[in-house]
Amino acid sequence: MTLLKVENLSVDFPTPDGLVAAVHEASFEINAGETLAIVGESGSGKTVTNLALMGLIPARTANISGSAKFESHNGSIDLLSMDRNELRKYRGKDIAMIFQDPMSSLHPFYTIGDQIIEAHQVHNKVDLKVSKARAIELLELVGIQGAATRIKAFPHQFSGGMRQRVMIAMALVNNPSLLIADEPTTALDVTVQAQIIKLLGDLQKEFKMAMILITHDMGVVAGAADRVNVMYAGRIVESANVRDLYSNPLMPYTQGLLASVPRMDRPHTNRLSAIPGQPPSMIALPTGCSFNPRCIRKSEVSGSRCETLMPDLTPRGNGHLARCFIGEGA
Amino acid sequence: MARVKKSTSIAIVAVLALAVVAGGLVKMSSGGSSKGGTITYLTHSEAWTHADPNRNYTGQHIAWFGSYMHRTLTAYARAEGSAGSAVVADLATDTGRASNGNKTWEFTLRDGSTFEDGSAVTCEDVKYGVSRTFATDVITDGPTYAIGMLDIPSAKDGSSVYKGPYTTKDNDTAAYDKAVSCSADNKTITFNLKRPVGDFNYTTTYLSFSPVPKALDKGDAYDMAPVSTGPYKIEKYKAKDEMVLVRNDKWSKKSDPIRNAYPDRIVVRFGLAEEVRDQLVLNDSEKNSMSLDAVLPTNLPTVFDDAGKPNSKFATRALNVYDPYVTYSAVNVKKVPCLDIRKAIYYARDFAGLMQLSGGAAFGGDPADGVIKPLMGLDYAKVTGLEEFKPAGNAEAAKKYMDAAKTACPDVYAKATDPKRGIYFDFADTDTNKKAAAIWIDSMKKNAGITMKFNYIEAGSYYAVVLDQTKQGDLSRAGWAPDWANASTVIPELFTETGGFPMSQNWGDPAYKAFKAKSDAALAEPDRKKQGKMWAELNQYAMDQMWVIPGVFSKTQEVWGSGLGGVFFWEPQGAPSYGDIYIK
Amino acid sequence: MFAYISRRLAVSLLILLTVSFAVYIIFAFLPFDPAALTCGKNCNDPGIIEANRHRLGYDLPFFTQYFLFLKGLFFGRSFGEGAALINCPAPSLGYSFQQHACVTNLIGEALPVTFSLAIGAIVMWLALGIGLGILAARFRGRIVDQLSTIFVLIGTSLPTFLTGLLLMVFVVIRWHLIPFPSGNYTPFLENPFEWAQILFLPWLTLAFAYAALYTRFVRSSVIDTSNEDYIRTARAKGLSEGVILGKHTLRSALAPIATMAGLDFAGLLGGAILTESVFNLPGLGRLAISSVVKYDLPIIVATTLLAAFIVVVMNLIVDILYAYIDPRVRVA
Repeated sequence: MTLLKVENLSVDFPTPDGLVAAVHEASFEINAGETLAIVGESGSGKTVTNLALMGLIPARTANISGSAKFESHNGSIDLLSMDRNELRKYRGKDIAMIFQDPMSSLHPFYTIGDQIIEAHQVHNKVDLKVSKARAIELLELVGIQGAATRIKAFPHQFSGGMRQRVMIAMALVNNPSLLIADEPTTALDVTVQAQIIKLLGDLQKEFKMAMILITHDMGVVAGAADRVNVMYAGRIVESANVRDLYSNPLMPYTQGLLASVPRMDRPHTNRLSAIPGQPPSMIALPTGCSFNPRCIRKSEVSGSRCETLMPDLTPRGNGHLARCFIGEGA
Repeated sequence: MARVKKSTSIAIVAVLALAVVAGGLVKMSSGGSSKGGTITYLTHSEAWTHADPNRNYTGQHIAWFGSYMHRTLTAYARAEGSAGSAVVADLATDTGRASNGNKTWEFTLRDGSTFEDGSAVTCEDVKYGVSRTFATDVITDGPTYAIGMLDIPSAKDGSSVYKGPYTTKDNDTAAYDKAVSCSADNKTITFNLKRPVGDFNYTTTYLSFSPVPKALDKGDAYDMAPVSTGPYKIEKYKAKDEMVLVRNDKWSKKSDPIRNAYPDRIVVRFGLAEEVRDQLVLNDSEKNSMSLDAVLPTNLPTVFDDAGKPNSKFATRALNVYDPYVTYSAVNVKKVPCLDIRKAIYYARDFAGLMQLSGGAAFGGDPADGVIKPLMGLDYAKVTGLEEFKPAGNAEAAKKYMDAAKTACPDVYAKATDPKRGIYFDFADTDTNKKAAAIWIDSMKKNAGITMKFNYIEAGSYYAVVLDQTKQGDLSRAGWAPDWANASTVIPELFTETGGFPMSQNWGDPAYKAFKAKSDAALAEPDRKKQGKMWAELNQYAMDQMWVIPGVFSKTQEVWGSGLGGVFFWEPQGAPSYGDIYIK
Repeated sequence: MFAYISRRLAVSLLILLTVSFAVYIIFAFLPFDPAALTCGKNCNDPGIIEANRHRLGYDLPFFTQYFLFLKGLFFGRSFGEGAALINCPAPSLGYSFQQHACVTNLIGEALPVTFSLAIGAIVMWLALGIGLGILAARFRGRIVDQLSTIFVLIGTSLPTFLTGLLLMVFVVIRWHLIPFPSGNYTPFLENPFEWAQILFLPWLTLAFAYAALYTRFVRSSVIDTSNEDYIRTARAKGLSEGVILGKHTLRSALAPIATMAGLDFAGLLGGAILTESVFNLPGLGRLAISSVVKYDLPIIVATTLLAAFIVVVMNLIVDILYAYIDPRVRVA
């Protein structure tokens, strides 16, 4: 069953220097229980895509267009055209979100219990005690020892990993059908990263929820995702199931991303491959393919098409989509 | 007896000066006067300088407290113009009886005069009040005539052997009891004086001769809770807040014919911001109020026209009159022993420029020709020999005297014209004075070629410094008003070595000896008319020697609300006659 | 929390003792003679100066004077003898010869005035400043925000002396909207209505100046806090904008205001000199400034100490309050 179907999502921010197209005509869908990874460098539009879906971009600061059909507890809704105040009833209930920096994402002046209970209370007309029991239950579920007493603790009394567990507990308190995890491990120690990813995977199965995992770390993607969207400069440049993408990356950018991941199953190389150059300025995108100034394979394309034309996102078989002139006609 | 800043009485008309005028003889300025209501006085001050009668000294304070609360042996007649300078009986039945060649004075108290608690005012109360003025460590700031005049020996250090009622050790109380004594019926007080004082009954107009009940005396703290003998008593007195006077029901007009008691209540509002105080009166926002302070110079044009006359809106509620002061620049004759240089300074000065700083002649006053004001009447005569005076300075005359000085006193001339040395002038350190200094420097250089330099002295300690004869510069700014209507409180005070304000240091001057002899003779002269002529001659003499560079016969301005009537300027006190003010 | 408070109390006491000693040293070595300032023009007689020096204890060694001062605080003190004896009961801060009163009494009279002035003003300016600051932040760039910017500009640039004078001259003297008060100050317990009537314009004057500062501060603090990650979290939970502002944003945004308000309040308690002058309020500021002008040493020492005391105490209160608001401080 398709849980979320996004079509032609565009987000433009007007700035004094001109319009910034943070997301350009992104279309994708996600089925119930499935994990979609959105991969890309900073500024590629992956976070903006999800903030737009959650209705968390202040209305007056951006022009948002497109549609996003979502199967909620209350029937089918369009996340993008819905009144913001109405959308509030689904946010935190059907769709929950966890963020990159657990250090700053919890309110420093309230106990974690208060904050989780608040998240439950806002969508459930139940006694405070019920919410409290639910909070303790969730905290135990995410692996916090002595949850019944720790519920009175303040965020600063927790380590980073523990705080992310609290964030996860808070996100799951209302049994959401979709969890958006925006770089959930970036700010954490490497050992803790793995624990959190494993926890998310376990909980996803238990709660039977779909997840959008936003990350720039291809290593995380491999173990966790069913399907991957690669974004570059506001556009989806490649989309495939995780196995296809890893075995057969079509877009030179994706190839670069994969090559930069150290892997045990590949012959040892002396240095990690990296993509040359810097991500482009969103205000002055290069003409043609946004990636062309950094592309090491553009010589394979005849003429100067890479410099003048933007390639379309075209199907390459087996549900694999890519935005590249290379192999387009094959 | 030094008079420093403000002062009191001024004698005016010769005929009345020594005349003993009974209270009833003086025509009261009555008319539509009516009783009742509340008069409000407004002031920037946080409290009265003093409310203790024995510590009151300035004319305004004596006029105010003398009108409402404190009685003394004699008082000035409550009348407009020169009639106000007559002495009338107050607590006493007459204006005193002199004997023993004016060395013994007797006053008998009226029947029926009481304190606010109803107890009769006795001779002992007056005697106790006077005794307090000897305790100069506690009863500060009051006039010290009793110490100077009463026949009490001096100790080795020059101070009186009697130290007032608060000291028990080494205190010759017997000497005081000998000098001041009471009759058996406790109604007649006798003062024995060191030297003849023909106008001792002027001295007794000072509230330092007011009675104080010994049982209620609290020393320094009496200043906040003095006991009334007049028509009003204190209901409330709080610094920075207000004083409220209410009727004293123990007072009777019968035993006090000279006082009126028009309003029911009198309120003094302390601590008002100066602009707020002026605006309240100028806008007639509080109709029954009067300012106790000078109008801010910036507000004067609202009230008066350029000639100093009240504008039509203020025709009946403003006064611009001469106050008792004369300002001058005292010459330290010891340091400037050269008459020609002193005259050159006088003629070179830009008087008009200096007057402009105090709002112009209309508000500041007229050029003075000496230290005695024309208001002094009998004691004043126009000084001659100053005919070359020009308001903006007379360069020609100044140069003439400078040329004369070149040969007459080359040392002083060299000093005065040397840009590195010059004439040093003592000035209190204020902004206005610094502007004045610029005018002095400029006009001296331009008109006489004199280099003038300034010693700025912190305003609060100014007189303490310049009265120290070792610290005084070549010239010092000063102002003086007579203590009562006799230039005996001016000429000897300013120009003799034993005076209270001797800033001319002129006793080394060859002309001094003759002057001193004549001054002593004038003090002892029993004929007031002859005495007045002598003072006028001494004033002329001092100006001939240019012992001071005369400044201004100064003026003062008063403004009040439209609801008040009966306001007139009480010349001997240099203040409105507060007791005659009523609510229309 | 108890250990925290008691530790802070001990430090505060030590600070006060040090300040009192420092104040005493400063005035002991100032180049003027306190005894010479007690007798007006009679001071041309050195005997009187010496008598008053002895009466006031200025002839004693420095440490004895300081000790007597401290002792007076706890046991009272008397000056002079006989009919002129002056007794100032504990806590005695000395006797002012110029004002003919025990300094403690003078301060006791002035403090309630200044406290009334400060408390009303702070209530007004907090209400105005916080309210306007929130509105301006919430409707950033719109008409409310622009009006608040104008208010901030005027409020911060007009000196309180001028604001006060304008209010006094126009509201009271010219337009008679409020009657000219019949007294300079009426205690609250005596007549609350008159108390408020007399203090209304002074409150307004101070509130106007402070509210402008607070508006600017609250506006930027609310905007900064709105950009915090935890506010995004709150929004992601599905909380309404009202709850987000009221519960999440303001709690953080206003925490620094508590510190600011506490210290500003302490500053005002030390005396709002200009405002007290314009409205002739007999408060601490006037007491302090007039004593400085007249070199009234006992009052200068006492008001300086009191100002230090108020600042130390307010700092303590603010710290404790802050520990209550921000849990992170409690542990530290």
